[in-house]
Amino acid sequence: MRGNILAVSKAKRRFFASALTLACGVFACGVRNASAADVRSQHDAATTTNPAPQTAANKRAVKQVTDETGRHMAIPLNVQRVVTLAPNLTETIYALGLDGKLAGDTTYCDIPPAAKEKPHIGSPQEPSLEAIVALHPDLVLATTSINRAETADALLKIGVPVYTSDPHTMAGMLSATATIADLLGASEQGAKLVAALQQRLDTLHAALQDQPMAHVLFVVWEDPLISIGQNTFIADALRWAGAESIIVASQNWPQVSMEEVVRLQPDYIVLTSDHLEAETHEHVDNLRNRPTWSELRAVKLGHVVMASDEFTRPSPGLVDAIESLAHDLHPEVFSTSAALPAPNFSLRIVGAGLRPAPTAANARTLSQFVRERLNNEVSTCAR
Amino acid sequence: MRPLTPSRILSICGLLAAVLFAAVVISLRVGAYPIGMRDIVITLFNGAIGRGDTSEFNQVIFGLRLPRIALGILVGAALSTSGAGFQALLRNPLADPYVLGVSSGAALGAMLSLIIAPHTVGAIQLAAFVGAAATIAAVYFLGRRGGQLDSATLLLAGIIAASFLSAIIIFLLTLVNGPGLRSMTFWLMGDLTAPPPTQNVLGWFGFLYFVFIVAAGAMYTTSSDLNLILTGEQEAGHLGVNVTRVKLVVYVAASVLTGLAVSVSGTIGYVGLLVPHVMRMLFGTDYRLLIPTSAIGGAIVIVLADTLGRTIVAPTELPVGAMTALAGAPVFIYLMRRRIR
Repeated sequence: MRGNILAVSKAKRRFFASALTLACGVFACGVRNASAADVRSQHDAATTTNPAPQTAANKRAVKQVTDETGRHMAIPLNVQRVVTLAPNLTETIYALGLDGKLAGDTTYCDIPPAAKEKPHIGSPQEPSLEAIVALHPDLVLATTSINRAETADALLKIGVPVYTSDPHTMAGMLSATATIADLLGASEQGAKLVAALQQRLDTLHAALQDQPMAHVLFVVWEDPLISIGQNTFIADALRWAGAESIIVASQNWPQVSMEEVVRLQPDYIVLTSDHLEAETHEHVDNLRNRPTWSELRAVKLGHVVMASDEFTRPSPGLVDAIESLAHDLHPEVFSTSAALPAPNFSLRIVGAGLRPAPTAANARTLSQFVRERLNNEVSTCAR
Repeated sequence: MRPLTPSRILSICGLLAAVLFAAVVISLRVGAYPIGMRDIVITLFNGAIGRGDTSEFNQVIFGLRLPRIALGILVGAALSTSGAGFQALLRNPLADPYVLGVSSGAALGAMLSLIIAPHTVGAIQLAAFVGAAATIAAVYFLGRRGGQLDSATLLLAGIIAASFLSAIIIFLLTLVNGPGLRSMTFWLMGDLTAPPPTQNVLGWFGFLYFVFIVAAGAMYTTSSDLNLILTGEQEAGHLGVNVTRVKLVVYVAASVLTGLAVSVSGTIGYVGLLVPHVMRMLFGTDYRLLIPTSAIGGAIVIVLADTLGRTIVAPTELPVGAMTALAGAPVFIYLMRRRIR
C-alpha cells in the first residue's frame, strides 16, 4: 500500500515537475531575493515546531486499521498529534483528557471553550487540507455525521491517516469513543469513560423503563420544518431519555409537513439551541404566536423543551443532554432527586449539574469542562 | 481592426499564457501551508528528476496544490471553450455550457452513483460522464428539425431537458440519505477538492487533457466556418460551408467539453458564460482567436478563483463556484460598461 503510493507519486511528480520546473526556475530568479527571508523563517519554524519530523516517520511502528467506513490505513502506534474535523470529536478528545495531543480542530469546535484556542483547520465541511498537513498530524479524526468523504479520501491519498467514525446510536458513540481512546494509546481512559457513561445511561434506563414514552417532535430546523429519521443517533438518544420521535422516516433529516405534526399531536416539542435563557422564552412565545404552531396541544400547555445543542453532537456530552432532557420530560420520576436545580435553569443549560457525582478521573474532566462551559455562559448572560 | 494573422493569434495567446503561468506560480506559492519559493523550486526539481521524498513539502506541492491547479486549468479551459461554442451554435449571447442540460444530466448521473455505489472510487466521474453523454444524445434527437440542428429548437429541447432533469434531482435530493447528499451539495456548487479517482495521477490527467485537446481541436477546425455562420446560416451555405456538419461538430465538441468538466468538478458557474464575452470585448469576435483565448482565459480565471477561494477565509475554503460568481460579475459589468462608453 505504502509502496504503491510512493511509486505513483514519483510518476506524478515527474509529470508535473517536468512541465513546471524549468519555468519556475526562471521565475524564481526574480522572486528569490524577495522571499529569502520568508524561506529562512520557514526553515526555522520547521526545525523548532515539528516534534515528529517526517524523516523519522518511516522508522515509527504502525498498525493497520480499518475505520467505520471501511477505509484501510496505517496509524502510528504512538500517536502524539491529532487533528479533529468535527466538534463532537474534539469534545471526545477533551473528555478523554487527551487534549495535550490535540494539534488542531475546526472553527466550529466550541466545547469546551479551550477548544477555541487550538489552531483551526477550517470548517468541518470545507477544511484546508494544507492547514491540516501543516500541523504535522499523526492521525486525523473525522465523522460521517458532518464531514465529507472527499476530505478523508484526499488526505489518505497523500499519506495522512484519517479515521472516520460513523455513529448511528449511543452504543455506536460509545464504541467510537473507546476506539478513539485506543488509537491515541489511552485504552484505559477510554474504558473508564465509556463505563461511566454507560452506567449513567443504564441508571436512566432503570428509572424510565416503566414509564410511558413521551412522544416528541424533535425540531432540527424550524422553517422549513426538518425533523429526524429513525436511523439517527438523535433518535436513539431520545429513546434513552424516555422519548420517541413522532416522525417515522427512513431519511435522516426529513422535511415534515405541519399537517402531519397537527395530526400526530406530540406531547412535547424539543428544540435545540445555543440561545440564552431570555431568548428561550422569547422563542417559546414566538411559537405561541405562530399560526398552526399555536394550535398545537404541546405549545398551548407550554410543553416546549430547549435541549442543548450537544444533542446534535454524538459526543460524551450527549449523555449530559440526555439526562437533562429526561428530567424535563419525566419530572415526576426525578422529582425526589435532590440534585435537581430550578426548572428554568435546567431548561436552559441541559446537562449541567444534573449528573451523579463523577467517579473516575476522566469523568472529572468531563464535569470540569461542563463547568467551564457554564462559567462561560454565565459570563455571557451577564454581558 | 487589424487583420487576424497567425502571428497575431500566437502573440495574444502567448501573452495570455504568460498571465496563466503567473497565476499558476501564485497559486503554487500561496496557501495555508507556508512554503517559500525556493523550496517550491527545489521540491519541483527533485520531483522532476525522480528524487522526491515523502516530506510534507512534497505532500503539499505534489499531493495538493499541483493536482488542483492541473484540474483548474482543465476545467476552466473546457468550460470557456464550450461556452464560446454554444454561443455560436445557438447564436445566443446568454448561452453557457449548461444551457442544453448537459450539466443536469451529469449531475443526475453523479447523484445516482452516490445513491447506488457511494463508496466506489471513480464511480461519480464515470456516472456523471455517462449522464452527460445520454443528455447530449437525447437533446440532439429532440433538437433536430428537418434533419438539421435548428438553433431555436435545440435551445428549447435543451432547456426542457435541463429543467426536467433538475426536477428529478430535487426529487431524489428529498428522498435519499446520508453523507452522499453532502457530496452532492458541493458537487452542485462546483468544487475542485475531490482527489483524482486513481492512484495513477499522471495517467488520469493525461487522459483528461487528451479528451480536452481532441474536443477543443475539433471545435477549432470549424472556427473559420463559424465566423461565416454567425453572419447568417444561408449566407454561409452559399459560400460553401457545410452548415449541418459544422453545427454537429460544434455541438458534440462543446457538449463533450462540458461533460468532461462537470464530471471532474461539478457545476462551476459563470466561467463558461463570461469568459468568452470578456475575450470578445478584449480581442474581437473572430472564432479563430476567440476559441484559444477563451480556453486560456478560462484557465486563468479558475486558477485565480480557486487560489482566492482557499486563501481569503483561510483556513476554511470557499468553493470555486462561489468565487467565480462573486468575482466574475463585477469584472464583466466593468468591461461591458467600458465598451458601451
